[in-house]
Amino acid sequence: MTIQLLAFYFFAFFAVLGALLVITLRNPVHAVLSLVLTFFSVACIWMLMQAEFLALVLIVVYVGAVMVLFLFVVMMLDIKVAAAREGFIRHLPVGIGVALIMLAEMVTLIGLRAMQVAPPPNPAAMHGESNVAWIGTALYTQYLLPFEVAAMILTVGIVAAVALTLRHRVGVRHQNASQQVAAVARDRVRLVSMPAERGDPGAQP
Amino acid sequence: MCAVLAAEVAGAVLAQYWPILLFMAVAAGLGMALLTIGLVVAPRRPAAQKLSPYECGFEAFEDARMKFDVRYYLIAILFIIFDLEIAFLFPWAVVFDRIGLVALIEMVLFIALLVVGFIYIWKKGALEWE
Repeated sequence: MTIQLLAFYFFAFFAVLGALLVITLRNPVHAVLSLVLTFFSVACIWMLMQAEFLALVLIVVYVGAVMVLFLFVVMMLDIKVAAAREGFIRHLPVGIGVALIMLAEMVTLIGLRAMQVAPPPNPAAMHGESNVAWIGTALYTQYLLPFEVAAMILTVGIVAAVALTLRHRVGVRHQNASQQVAAVARDRVRLVSMPAERGDPGAQP
Repeated sequence: MCAVLAAEVAGAVLAQYWPILLFMAVAAGLGMALLTIGLVVAPRRPAAQKLSPYECGFEAFEDARMKFDVRYYLIAILFIIFDLEIAFLFPWAVVFDRIGLVALIEMVLFIALLVVGFIYIWKKGALEWE
């Protein structure tokens, strides 16, 4: 238990440190990398809470894919390092206000009493099942409709991303593989039969 | 009694991750040790010429942080969407034999919906790089 508690404080410290670095670092790329540190630490905390599947998905999806997207966005926006720094103090009260509102929302959602009583035992482990199997059983029997709605939302996301960002350039030369394969020698080379000519024997080629 | 059992079960689950915790500690320790040794032992004699930006023999024309084409973003976001689709497949594969045919039908429906999006991407030519 003590090791769990130590590990929790260790990962929680790095989660908070990473989050602080995200808003204080000058370089936006470094801020994105600190956000990776935060996500990774939070994934470790979730692992300590035995939410194995969610922790691994957080690493695979957020650290692996979403942060790459963030890096592209940072690169695309072409933020100058000094310009990003300018409004820090001016926007800080707004940021603190938003953070306080979010904190109030979370406290009302979870409830202060939930922190005082002992958490309920992990149902999956009590039944001798893995966390993934427990989630799978619930997701594919009880929550079938939300699961299919998730597919709809992902499809809408695909259409929106393509519609927003796809630009076709004109005048680009393409390589048409099927046309290349379908080419025959007859269309490309014309073989001509002609009598041999006698050149000047003294001329060098 | 129940709480004690729960604590034991929780310990058993987390005990599986003990090697991973050790691995992370060793990786972090080794990384920091190598950097520290390099910092302490290696000779450092910085000079203006050594530290200047260098690009094939002439001064750099522009900043390294240039604008990226928006199509990288498109590829990344499409990757995230199909990454999420695969994430849904893992718990499905674990409980597939327990739920049976219903699970197969619902996953075929799920993937069919995403295949609609995939056909849209394909027909729009979003995967072609030009």
